[in-house]
Amino acid sequence: MMTSHAATLYSIATGSSEPIYRQLIEQTRRLLAARVLAPGDVLPSVRELALALAVNPMTVSKAYNMMETEGLLSRSRGIGMLVAERRAHSASEREALLRPTLERAAEEARQLELDPDAVLALFNKILKEEP
Amino acid sequence: MKPSIVNIANLHKSFGGQQVLQGVSWDIAPGKVIGLLGRNGAGKSTLLECLLGLREADAGASTLFGQPATQLGDQARAWIGYVPQKSELFEWLTPVQMLDYFKALYPHWNADKVAGLLERWGFAGEARHKQIGRLSGGEKQRLSIIRALAHDPRLLVLDEPVASLDPVGRRDFLHELVDGVIERDTTVIFSTHILSDLERVALDVAFLQGGKITLQAPLDELLESTHRITGSAAALARLQFRDEIRRQQDRSGGVSILARLNGQEAAALRAGPDLRVETLSLEDLFVEVTK
Repeated sequence: MMTSHAATLYSIATGSSEPIYRQLIEQTRRLLAARVLAPGDVLPSVRELALALAVNPMTVSKAYNMMETEGLLSRSRGIGMLVAERRAHSASEREALLRPTLERAAEEARQLELDPDAVLALFNKILKEEP
Repeated sequence: MKPSIVNIANLHKSFGGQQVLQGVSWDIAPGKVIGLLGRNGAGKSTLLECLLGLREADAGASTLFGQPATQLGDQARAWIGYVPQKSELFEWLTPVQMLDYFKALYPHWNADKVAGLLERWGFAGEARHKQIGRLSGGEKQRLSIIRALAHDPRLLVLDEPVASLDPVGRRDFLHELVDGVIERDTTVIFSTHILSDLERVALDVAFLQGGKITLQAPLDELLESTHRITGSAAALARLQFRDEIRRQQDRSGGVSILARLNGQEAAALRAGPDLRVETLSLEDLFVEVTK
């Protein structure tokens, strides 16, 4: 059963330091996490959403395009933007997602002048901890 | 790259010995939607008037559609829509008479659009036959916008278009911009102090300050890259940035730097001790940039 979502799904806040396209991406993530959006669901069209939020259609396009690139959404001819089926990411893709976080951790470790082996041991220990 | 639709080179203008524009250079590509920002009295209206060739500059030139703005041909003239900050013209005519008058001047006139806007924007009833001089400020402004949109311009210049509109009127105007203007790939330049409206529709912003365009960038990039870094004078003295906008010291000796950083630079600074690193809203950015 395919659900089509209305533009009222989204809202934006002006006066934020977060650009509007990022707000749309973050909201989509939250809606996915909360299972309001399910794979195969149809999102409002660019025009519909732009009009409902009174924002530039290019901003909505930008958000949709980035989510498509990320694999959150997929484009279907004649239907529009769909929530992508959850596909198994390859190991290298999943590693790429983790990399920025690890880069930040590495930066902090260097600034704290920690021994690399000690840092790796700590990370190993954390990996084995139950969440 | 597309040829520019507006090109301004080294524009100067002064009034009674006061330098308002001091070498403005500005290049605008077709299809851009640009918000022009600046403090009161920064010269935004003067700049827009000189840009359109409505006011003669002391030095420098404005070129529209490849033609000198002060000697535009009829075709180029018909491609321009302009909403002045204040319009006191045609006060003795009614809205319908005024629009009929303009209709005769333009080779192309979107009568359906005009009829629809009059209907939706409060000119369905008696207001359409009232003398313009007796309309409210908001009604006059809406009428001025209708007139500017009526011939489907390729370049739309709006000087504080929503200053006297209430929130509903402003939202109607935004809808028209989104639906009827941006969709047609019209180039839009507008000055406003209502930053929440600007954020919704402008993809680029330009700051006019000290008689020059001091900063122009895509709004998203500006919000993401601009950071305020605060800390002790000693800690900040060591920091150097590629793209530093401003550095200032407050009375208590604290120093703040406004700089554009990429994600890695910002993350590295955040990880460091004794510094506060924050991104800014457009309003904070306006205050910081125009200090």
